[in-house]
Amino acid sequence: MKWRRLLSPLMLVALWQVLCIWGIIPAYKLPAPTQVLGGLWELMTLGMPPGRLLHLHILHSLERVLYGYAAAVCTAVPLGIAMGWFPRFRTLAEPVVELIRPIPPLAWIPIAILWFGIGIKSAAFIIFLGAFFPILLNTVSGVRSIDPILIEAARTLNAKDKDIFLKVLIPGSVPSIWTGLRIGVGIGWMTLVAAEFTGVREGYGLGYMIMTARDIQRPDEIVAGMLVIGMIGLSIDAGLRLLERRLIRWR
Amino acid sequence: MNRLVPYLCVPFLIFGSISGYAAESTEKPIRMAYLQNDLHHLALWVAMEQGFFKHENIPVEIAGVFKAGPEIMTAFAAGALDMAYVGEAPATTAVANKTTDVVAVAQVNTDGSALVVSSRNSGIDSIADLAGKTVAVPGHSTVQDLLLRKALARHGLDDRQVNIMVLKPPEMIPALRTGQIHAFIAWETFPSKAVTLEIGRILATSKDIWADHPCCVLVSDRKFLESNRDRVAAVVRAHVNATDFIRSNPDEAVQIAVKYTGTDEETVRLALRNVHFTYILSVEGEKEYVEFLSDLKYIRVPDVDIFLKSFMDSDLLEAILKSP
Amino acid sequence: MALSLEIRGLTKRFETQEDHAGLLAFENLNLSVEKGEFVSIVGPSGCGKTTLLRIVAGLERPTGGRILLDGRPLTQREPRVGLVFQEYALFPWRTTLQNIEMGLEIMSVDKSERRASAMEYIRAFGLHGFEHAYPKELSGGMKQRVAIARTLIMNPQVVLMDEPFGSLDSQTRNDLQNFLLGLWRRRRDTVLFVTHNVDEAVYLSDRVVVLSRRPAGILLTCEVPLTRPRDRTSREANEIRKEILQVLAGLKPASTPDVTAR
Repeated sequence: MKWRRLLSPLMLVALWQVLCIWGIIPAYKLPAPTQVLGGLWELMTLGMPPGRLLHLHILHSLERVLYGYAAAVCTAVPLGIAMGWFPRFRTLAEPVVELIRPIPPLAWIPIAILWFGIGIKSAAFIIFLGAFFPILLNTVSGVRSIDPILIEAARTLNAKDKDIFLKVLIPGSVPSIWTGLRIGVGIGWMTLVAAEFTGVREGYGLGYMIMTARDIQRPDEIVAGMLVIGMIGLSIDAGLRLLERRLIRWR
Repeated sequence: MNRLVPYLCVPFLIFGSISGYAAESTEKPIRMAYLQNDLHHLALWVAMEQGFFKHENIPVEIAGVFKAGPEIMTAFAAGALDMAYVGEAPATTAVANKTTDVVAVAQVNTDGSALVVSSRNSGIDSIADLAGKTVAVPGHSTVQDLLLRKALARHGLDDRQVNIMVLKPPEMIPALRTGQIHAFIAWETFPSKAVTLEIGRILATSKDIWADHPCCVLVSDRKFLESNRDRVAAVVRAHVNATDFIRSNPDEAVQIAVKYTGTDEETVRLALRNVHFTYILSVEGEKEYVEFLSDLKYIRVPDVDIFLKSFMDSDLLEAILKSP
Repeated sequence: MALSLEIRGLTKRFETQEDHAGLLAFENLNLSVEKGEFVSIVGPSGCGKTTLLRIVAGLERPTGGRILLDGRPLTQREPRVGLVFQEYALFPWRTTLQNIEMGLEIMSVDKSERRASAMEYIRAFGLHGFEHAYPKELSGGMKQRVAIARTLIMNPQVVLMDEPFGSLDSQTRNDLQNFLLGLWRRRRDTVLFVTHNVDEAVYLSDRVVVLSRRPAGILLTCEVPLTRPRDRTSREANEIRKEILQVLAGLKPASTPDVTAR
């Protein structure tokens, strides 16, 4: 039963509430669950900054993530397939990838602003950097881990390189690529808040909302905002898992 | 039994450290903070350089240099600060929203901010021209945010016609230079720096918008004030002396400002003309802040007068000024 | 009788890093298979029988020698030769139907045509009801039947089989041997069947070729003139098996080294 899975988070929340009521956790350190719910209500009805409602913040953030993520998918998947299939290309590309990969997306913020200005492009760029590498690495691994015997079987069925590519390589690496897509969107979503620190021109965004709540000293809304971010991230991941089960029935 | 000994020590360690924390040791320095490159906080720097704190026999340590007022208030909430030089608006917001309890014990300055537009032909010659443009402020519920809205309101504008964006002041000058924003409002020395770099020109000083508006205050954590009244009084005394020093020794003050802001002398001299250093707390000014913040729905204050009485405490200051 | 497959003077040397002389799999190997003949190759593990098969399938290049199919030389990618692997090598993301159709799809055969063809094979191979199942849902025996269907639907001139029943339990193995025989008796494909199971070789083939250890040479070529269906336990079968086993064990000397059949 699915309900059992909710039991331990609910118990945690109950414990948290009790600790707050007893004053063991002081209010300024961590607001109580009831306060967080109140903050959530205000975010939805009054907004933060006042007048800017939660659902619009969510939409703007989703838009930024969508841009950055789409860019990551469109570059990382083809690049990953090329790197997986052509050993010489992989030897060329790998050192560059491994050099850039450890640099945290946040460190790119000053350069992002210089290149793209303040606005959706620089935020999308930061998210792109976060999502790109998991997708790339999983794609490469997916291509490389295709059982060579399947390629040989295809050859005995008269497959040319084009056939191998389209009928063996791509379908065979889909599970790995999908895993990369799932991890990539998770990291992209996490990078969102940091990305919105580059400056939010439109005045809407979940990261911006939380920063404003910080400015106006509303920890209840800060935590509520964090929870919203967490819930959305969870939903996106659950959605992708569901799609995976539908698309990849053969595993 | 031997294995339990380390575990038995734990309660003692906990109680020991708590009681050590509670007991006020006179050797512990007072943890203070100020804002990065904020010329308004010159009195603090003067007090440190000229040894006014030493003269009062109180060790002071700078526990943090922050980029905006709300960050200082968060540090108070985390228990990391005892006293600070900070904008009146962020302090009011924090106290009204009950994230931290501080008391304003002296004024630090009035005026001292400016609204800057691009020095190139931007077509912005008055505040009314800001309609449809993007203006940067250091943060929501900062003094500058309120000044901007006040100025806009006079021309029938609000944040629906003008895009008010939050940027940290160091980022404002590059953003103005590259045309990312059309204007910014920040505390000195940033506006003067934009002028000396020939990137910007001043559209309006904060004096133009609201003459003699209170800007920064010296605050103390309330609990700290209650158990350390003498030490806080000593800090206030040093602040008063430092403020007087700025007026009577302008050249030396300039040098100290140059040192702490890392800015050139030309900029500092230009900026100093815009700042009014004073220590008298303005209740009327604070009242206006409270009303402004309530209108913006940043805070909800049931009784303004009670709030003012609680937030501002001039007793120490008055006692110091009365004595010879 | 027409020679379907002719292997002349085949040599395969593997280049290794350390030893430039390389690993000699076989040298100057000669083997011929007639049209419609079922020939098994047996030999100790690692003797090179799989390598031989892979060269005929076009997956490896020989170091020397020639291979002729119906008198014409073998090219690298040969639509005329099919290969059934021991590990089935089914495409896991394709259903039974799609796996069987794979070769036809690659040859751009019209969709309805290839579907009809594949369904025929599915019925003939007892896979009815499983056409939309994925390999993970199939038993070992079924998977191998799908693999065989996938190969035979292409109507290759020579069917190569590399220990196709090696991964199966003995009951399933026997079932599939009979299944294969039933197919072969109707279709009369030319089959080159590699196995290390002598019993299987004797049960299935017209002729058994015995290879030696590396470098492999032909130790013995043994005709199996028994009519099918065969009795595994008959006296003749036992004798043929015994002879092969003895040669393999080195107890009996090779009777006709490097022989060319017929």
